[in-house]
Amino acid sequence: MTPSDPTVWLFLVLVAPAAGAVLALIPLPRVSEWSARLAALVTLAAALALLAIAPSEQWGSYLGIDQLSEVFLVMVAGIYTTSTWYSRRYLRAVSHPYLGVSTYYALLAAFAFAMVATLVVSDLGLMWIGLEATTIASALLVVLERKPTSVEAAWRYTIIASAGLTIALFALILLYGATGTLNIFRLAENPPALSLPIQMAIALALVGYGTKVGLFPMHTWLPDAHSEAPSPVSAMFSGVLLPTALYAFVRVYRILPSPPVALSDLVLGFGVATALVAAFLLQRQRSFKRLLAYSSMEVMGLAVIGIAIGGVALYGALILLVAHAFAKSAAFYCAGNVLQETGTTRIEDVRNLGSRAPWTGAAWVLAAFGVTGAPPFGTFLGELLIVTGALATGNVLLAAAIVTAIAVAFLGVNSQIGRMVFGGGSFENPSSTGHRLSERGISVAYLNVGIALALGVVSLPYLTEAIRAAATLLGGSVP
Amino acid sequence: MLATDQVVALVGVGILLTALYLQAESFVAPLIPTIALQSLLLAVLLGWLAWTEHSVDLAVVAGVVVAIRGIGIPWVLRHQIKAFRWKVREIHAAHRVTGHALAAVALAVIAWFVFEETLGPVFPSPAYALPFVLLVQGLLMLATRSNTLVQVIGYLEEENAIVYAAAILVGGFPLLVEIVVFLDVLGVVLVGVILSIQRDVTGTLEEGQEETLSG
Repeated sequence: MTPSDPTVWLFLVLVAPAAGAVLALIPLPRVSEWSARLAALVTLAAALALLAIAPSEQWGSYLGIDQLSEVFLVMVAGIYTTSTWYSRRYLRAVSHPYLGVSTYYALLAAFAFAMVATLVVSDLGLMWIGLEATTIASALLVVLERKPTSVEAAWRYTIIASAGLTIALFALILLYGATGTLNIFRLAENPPALSLPIQMAIALALVGYGTKVGLFPMHTWLPDAHSEAPSPVSAMFSGVLLPTALYAFVRVYRILPSPPVALSDLVLGFGVATALVAAFLLQRQRSFKRLLAYSSMEVMGLAVIGIAIGGVALYGALILLVAHAFAKSAAFYCAGNVLQETGTTRIEDVRNLGSRAPWTGAAWVLAAFGVTGAPPFGTFLGELLIVTGALATGNVLLAAAIVTAIAVAFLGVNSQIGRMVFGGGSFENPSSTGHRLSERGISVAYLNVGIALALGVVSLPYLTEAIRAAATLLGGSVP
Repeated sequence: MLATDQVVALVGVGILLTALYLQAESFVAPLIPTIALQSLLLAVLLGWLAWTEHSVDLAVVAGVVVAIRGIGIPWVLRHQIKAFRWKVREIHAAHRVTGHALAAVALAVIAWFVFEETLGPVFPSPAYALPFVLLVQGLLMLATRSNTLVQVIGYLEEENAIVYAAAILVGGFPLLVEIVVFLDVLGVVLVGVILSIQRDVTGTLEEGQEETLSG
């Protein structure tokens, strides 16, 4: 075995988070923390190595990767690493946590392992197991802060996401009945003929996996879980869990090389409804964490639209997902700092961050621009390509709906975060002008904002090429 | 000697009746033996199919269904009820029993109709629509009930629908044993861990009794 052998890196990308989960259980906080950090770094290194050396590889009937899974692996490993780093600062400020430090890091690593496993398996049944395992590993993380609302959010998340996934499993049963295999590589080599069971399976998979993606109207768990979870976990939820669930759906959706119009219209309908509903709902949010959660939902809607349209829009959807993962995680790290320093998630109660916490405030403004598709972030490029793809179909109404969702979400998120950073304290809330806030741990937010920015302005080694290859693999086109 | 189609139809009717009863009952305690009975009926069907098709996988799944969904989880649920004795009746559901029952029947008919229209030509008997009907009944229970224990029962009903579908629609499924065990682990986690946390932190099992989750 040599470093150029993909098997070594596949082994590491799977074993590192699993080992991190086990080692983190050692009841010494510093050992747990560093085990988790080391595991995250090894996972990231292995994901990057796979991206660099193995465009596509299969190991037996159950394991296999291609450029699509590699792009998602880098996202998962990247956000897992920065969340692990940010967690130290966050955990120190949580009083009376429900979980000990060791349990927290063990569950965080198990959560990452479940996502990584979802991405490196080539069997749709195992992929389903991996995605369901993310629910088990992450549900307890939501209750870290021991609030009644977090327990309720964890419950809703578990029961709604699991109910959705049982629908997805029903879809897989129908798919297996129609094709006789669940191996994605075999299905790609011999695409099944269009039939009613396959169309029904894809429609059910859309509803089932769509529940975990946060598509309207199955999204109800999303704002609760994202807002109640500790910020490093919210970053992983928004940044990589939702895209991982979308990845599982794409694997089912793309077993048909050219899905029938009725099916792509169904997917498109869910995407448009999700983007529009989320964009308008986020205007009404009073909590900055829920604001970010609805923004994630809007981006997932846009990505689904891109996948349904295909062509350059599909390429745009992939860029959007990657850039959004890094920008949104940065936004949640900033939100974590602000929450812990001010003790509130109410937008009205946070003012003047620009002078009270200038580094956090600046990072938050940049991250907000990043998540809402301001140029020159990667999200801007992704959204532009999705709109271009929509216009290329000749459907002006669709393009108008997409632009509306993007514009409304842009205004909603940036105006609210702008008020918190640049707005002065009010007469009703004199404390909002208060003391200077600690800015520990904010450097990871800058790192992630930088990656989201770089995706829009330069060609990142291996990653940009892999995104292009993944889009082509899915039948999209690259400008 | 019964034909497999007859067994599928007979057990299917029994399972459907348990599903409709689950929707129409507002007391939590009677729901527990009902979901256990539904699981046992499913295990009978799995056992029959395992015997006629000489399938070890289906026999193992039948055993797991009996052990965990027929005995294990109902036992844990009964203990949870003891811990929440004052919550043995779901307050919200008590006022809407008739509506729930009618909605359940209407949805069962719609689900059966949708299945027959889309997949009917592929499957030989109308009884094959029953797993889909059961899945929809489980979803209805999750959507309309606010008591956590009742939602767990709705989730178990969905799990039963999955095993039911895997057994009769495709005659077995890759990784079926693993998936069933996994689903049951999740069921135990749901029941054992989250309910305990909920009891410790909030002292209630009914949504809407707690602080609201909103902006």
